[in-house]
Amino acid sequence: MKKIKKYVLIVAIVLLSFVGMGIEAHAADKPNYVITTDATYPPFDFQDKNNQYTGIDQEILKTIAKREGFTYTLKPMSFNSATQSVASDQADGVIAGMSITDERRAVFDFGTPYYRSGIGWAVKKGSNIKSLKDLKGKTVAIKTGTSGADYALSIQKQYGFKVVYFNDSDTLYNDVINDNSQATFGDLPVIQYAVKNGTALKVMNPKAPIQAGWYGFAVKKGKNAQLLAAFNKGFAAIKKDGTYDKIVAKYLGASAATFTGSKKDNNSTWGILKANRSAFLQGLWQTVLLTVFGIVLASLWGIILGVMGVSQNAVVRGISTTIIYIFRGLPLMVLAFFIYIGLPGVIGMKIPAVTAGILTLVLNEGAYTGAFVRGGFEAVDRGQMEAARSLGLPYSRAMRRVIMPQGIRIMIPSFINQFIITLKDTSILSAIGILELTQTGSLIVSRNSQGFRVWAIVAVIYLIVITLLTWLSNWVEKRSHA
Amino acid sequence: MSDAQTKVKVHVENVNKSYGDNHVLRDISLDVSENEVVVMIGPSGSGKSTFLRMLNQLETPDNGTIVVDGFDISDKATDINKVRENIGMVFQNFNLFNNYTVLENIMLAPVELGKLDKAAAEKKARELLATVGLSDKADVSVNSLSGGQKQRIAIARALAMSPDVMLFDEPTSALDPEMVGDVLNVMKNLADSGMTMIIVTHEMGFAKQVADRVVFFESGKIQESGTPEAVFNTPKNARLQEFLSKVMHA
Repeated sequence: MKKIKKYVLIVAIVLLSFVGMGIEAHAADKPNYVITTDATYPPFDFQDKNNQYTGIDQEILKTIAKREGFTYTLKPMSFNSATQSVASDQADGVIAGMSITDERRAVFDFGTPYYRSGIGWAVKKGSNIKSLKDLKGKTVAIKTGTSGADYALSIQKQYGFKVVYFNDSDTLYNDVINDNSQATFGDLPVIQYAVKNGTALKVMNPKAPIQAGWYGFAVKKGKNAQLLAAFNKGFAAIKKDGTYDKIVAKYLGASAATFTGSKKDNNSTWGILKANRSAFLQGLWQTVLLTVFGIVLASLWGIILGVMGVSQNAVVRGISTTIIYIFRGLPLMVLAFFIYIGLPGVIGMKIPAVTAGILTLVLNEGAYTGAFVRGGFEAVDRGQMEAARSLGLPYSRAMRRVIMPQGIRIMIPSFINQFIITLKDTSILSAIGILELTQTGSLIVSRNSQGFRVWAIVAVIYLIVITLLTWLSNWVEKRSHA
Repeated sequence: MSDAQTKVKVHVENVNKSYGDNHVLRDISLDVSENEVVVMIGPSGSGKSTFLRMLNQLETPDNGTIVVDGFDISDKATDINKVRENIGMVFQNFNLFNNYTVLENIMLAPVELGKLDKAAAEKKARELLATVGLSDKADVSVNSLSGGQKQRIAIARALAMSPDVMLFDEPTSALDPEMVGDVLNVMKNLADSGMTMIIVTHEMGFAKQVADRVVFFESGKIQESGTPEAVFNTPKNARLQEFLSKVMHA
């Protein structure tokens, strides 16, 4: 039993790795780096109307890569995950409007500073907050892991405000605009750009950035020296020949519509759907992929755990109970971060995000499945086992021929329920940068600020898929009763 | 049945069983000969069902020796599955396999255990169905049967393994009164055919009619045993007298 379990586990990991690689692999004869970013950060990093990643950072990086002859795979995720991925060797570099601070220097090596920035603070347009003193008792929205957040925390006691954290800028701005929170601290050029493009905020210190500093491209301390050198060399060149100034002017000078699409595209649900059709389809595909692999593998793993849970051997039962206890107890997101960001540092091996995502689903959903599979077997009347054993059937055969077929019938509604939960839980994996449906929605909203319409579209897509899944499951259930 | 050269089929010696502080069986010893029909009577909780379930190790004794069909089943080295193939058991609650039809219930064990091939097992199953008077139910789901029908199928299922010994654990207790007769008839025919049978029951009339020996359990002990005439007509043990006065009234 133990041997089988180990074998299954190895096969599962190998399989998952193939899945992950199949999706993420690129032919690599030139050096190919994995670069992370936070694509909800215009004008530095965002998705344009064609769903291409663009912005000052992205154009600088693209130009330098071309000049210096390296390629890279871009991984957009939350800023916090973006920096942690580099710190844990899951990615090689990060460019995400990242301020160079002493604290970060302890973990990262920065390239030549490429953009002068500083912290700004903003309130809702028309707010009666006039100075920092007015923030007493109010709530301040900040973005996880940013220097704006660090600054806000450093003055929190002095001014007596509460803080609330967000992972993407658009949700954060909307929180202030909706008056759930009353102010925000963040990088001045980013807030100014948002305001210029119609976000209903007022910048309080447009001329006087706090803690003025620089943005830098970062790699993990002591790693990827070659990449850093190439970046610096390329940066010096584009600074010298004026390309850099052109890029900055292009993004700061133009209105957002140049990049984010016309009003027509963004002001109706149909327009948004049409303009982002391919992005939604790709996100949906990724969600379906995660769901299918998640459901199939988690069911297999759950059945193994459930069978172990009713084993005659107390040790095997104990292993099953412990695994179920641990993985049912861990929040899905914690497990995802642990596998994707925590584990690679320990085992010294990269885990592709999709692999980490599927592994997370399998462990979490598999534990729930294991619990109800065990429960289903236990719910079969004891007399059934006694009758089978009294005829001379060994335990394993009595299980297979008599108990399991009856138990599985009891479990079918639980399986369908778990499939639907698995589908919904895939959305949590957006946290590790998997570009599934929810993350797709985040990126589109950060570009066009149409939160209501975009999230309504995403919600309807989920409902459609869930409806299809439910129909399919019910059809299978009916057939199994026939 | 009163053969001169009797062979011991079941040999039980000094068996004890406790559940925590509850001492349910105390130093039980009993021998059952080939072809013998032993009926065990006694009040509820007297230990007779626990004793019966020990004979095919659905319960394990704390100590003592149990030899069935020449196999010492109190010895851990004995392959209990092999021994069970030769001991049929019929339960109070029938315990037919809900996921199979009547015919499949009867065929399952002989086919699974390689005793008969499918065709032979089906032939035998149909013969057994005829024996218990339920030929027309071969292909129905077990849930559509009445209790009496279920119990007759359960007997057929046990007989499909051609056992040497049959154990009956209150086979008619869960039945409506009008169903009891059909099941007892099947059991009587089985006894007449020479099957070694150990039966726990409250059917005193049946015990009188079919038993070679009646054993009275009370407080985890065998208080008295003997021929039906001796036990029912001239009981010596005070507790047996009391028990009989209660059940015979009803």
